[in-house]
Amino acid sequence: MSVPMAETNAAVEIKDLVKDFKTSFRKEALRAVDGVSIRIMPGEVYGLIGPNGSGKSTTMKALLGLVAPTSGNCAIFGKDSLKVDSRNDVGFLPENPYFYKHLSGAETLRFYGKLCGLKGKMLEGRVSELLALVDLESARDRRLGGYSKGMLQRIGLAQALVQEPRLVILDEPTAGVDPIGSRQIRDLILKLRERGITVFLCSHLLEQVQEVCDHVGIIFRGKMVKEGRLEDLIAIEDQTEIVLKDASPELISQITALVGATAGASLVRTGKPRTTLERLFLRETNQGDDR
Amino acid sequence: MSTLTEKSKGSHVGRIWVIARHAFTQLVRMKVFYFLAVFAVIAIASNFFDLPQHEGPESVGINVLRSIKSWSLGTMTLFSVVMSIVATALLLPKDVEDRTLYTILAKPVPRLDYLAGKLLGVLLLVLVSLALMDVLMTAVLQIRASIVLAQQLEMAHALSWQQDAIDSVRMETAANGPSWSLQGAVFAVFLRASIMASLALLISTFSTSTLFTTIVSFLVYFIGHFQADARDAFLQHGQAGQGAAGRFFTLLLSLVFPDFQNFNVIDAVIEGQSMPLLILGKLTLIGLYYAFFYTIASWFIFAKKEF
Repeated sequence: MSVPMAETNAAVEIKDLVKDFKTSFRKEALRAVDGVSIRIMPGEVYGLIGPNGSGKSTTMKALLGLVAPTSGNCAIFGKDSLKVDSRNDVGFLPENPYFYKHLSGAETLRFYGKLCGLKGKMLEGRVSELLALVDLESARDRRLGGYSKGMLQRIGLAQALVQEPRLVILDEPTAGVDPIGSRQIRDLILKLRERGITVFLCSHLLEQVQEVCDHVGIIFRGKMVKEGRLEDLIAIEDQTEIVLKDASPELISQITALVGATAGASLVRTGKPRTTLERLFLRETNQGDDR
Repeated sequence: MSTLTEKSKGSHVGRIWVIARHAFTQLVRMKVFYFLAVFAVIAIASNFFDLPQHEGPESVGINVLRSIKSWSLGTMTLFSVVMSIVATALLLPKDVEDRTLYTILAKPVPRLDYLAGKLLGVLLLVLVSLALMDVLMTAVLQIRASIVLAQQLEMAHALSWQQDAIDSVRMETAANGPSWSLQGAVFAVFLRASIMASLALLISTFSTSTLFTTIVSFLVYFIGHFQADARDAFLQHGQAGQGAAGRFFTLLLSLVFPDFQNFNVIDAVIEGQSMPLLILGKLTLIGLYYAFFYTIASWFIFAKKEF
């Protein structure tokens, strides 16, 4: 059977994934993932969102071959996830990772780089490049035991990128990180998107998912309940937003009157748009957008 | 888009070596080499242990040399077995608990390479530790043997012994000093520790805690010292021993559980006997068989393990 070209080009292809876990005290197996299908094209940033225990991490682990599907299958760039060679093109940052505390930042990247077959000048160059990317050059020789939570997440992201993978999987990349660290990780994800790297992430921070992702999937009790382009999912089709600057009360009155005089149209809301608490925090701590 | 790994994918041996070196460094940074100070104290103190004497004054020096070897090899056995079991039992659960295992297995690392690397790292640590202890023991033994020999010769000359008797004393002292057989005994200690490390690796692939792995490994270690006796008793006295099923059972038992009585040859070396190369070869084969068997069994379990 011939495979269509688009099939082989998908960065992530999860088809009808079902994962049951056997439990010692229950006769019935626990179904963590129930018929989930996800298709992510190269260059997309895909956010999988859902409450705790909804099956997000299990889906990611199945994609990485850390758990075997009960049924269905997962593939990375057309390669079966259960095969080792599928991992050549993927980097993974697990939730709350604890890397080897006795290693420094540079040693950690060297270790993961060597596991991927890098060596010599190529490896050293890559280590320096990644430390610069995640802004940890000043801490390159400091042991990870002395790293803050945000620094650990960034070194984790760097190790995920060590072999220049085309796909990066991030499980709650900003969990437990302060707003500044969280913003840095968000900016890194945006950088990856600019470089054309496919990103598959899951997060509880819906606002961040909204900021960085172009596709989202909502998973609930193991089932995919909604999926698609973010713009399509969150747009309110029958409403239009106009944001004015320095508008006088008279102008507002005129616009309101005009809308009132137009058949079929109605004014839903007027008022001042608000910044987010995150933006306010970053501005007040001088870590805003200009950084 | 080409990736760096397309240019250099790495080999199994390379990956195993990277993981082994890392495991070795990890264990070294846990300050396990502090025990060498304890060993040095034991090696030096064994010079002064006063053992009960039933022989003539000419044997006093020889007994001290035996005491040094006995205490040193005993301490080596204790440290190497404890280190093999505890270090191996610690490494895998720690990686799972810290989720570092996820990041390693998410790289193009076959699970067998991971297991082999961890085991090799522990064996490297045991080997280096034993080598350092061996150097200490040999140095202490060399110094003490030359002192003993000088005392023996002085006594022999004072008592006007025949040349034959003097040569005999010289030979006996040399046999109880540093020798290749003694190095063979140290290697046998390493082989026994290797078997225990690979067994602990197997148990830790299905165990849920470090404590469980450690306890079960030590149980098997003790069973290994009695299994030959139990097997013989079963074959000679039990009715089951007469049948093919009984023989198959005992064969299976010896294939799964190591018979550590094979390593009693170490005691003979302490007594000053030499260790034939054939025996050393046999011990090496036994060590390799169990290490290979347990590692492959570990792989079968670990390959299907979910995280």
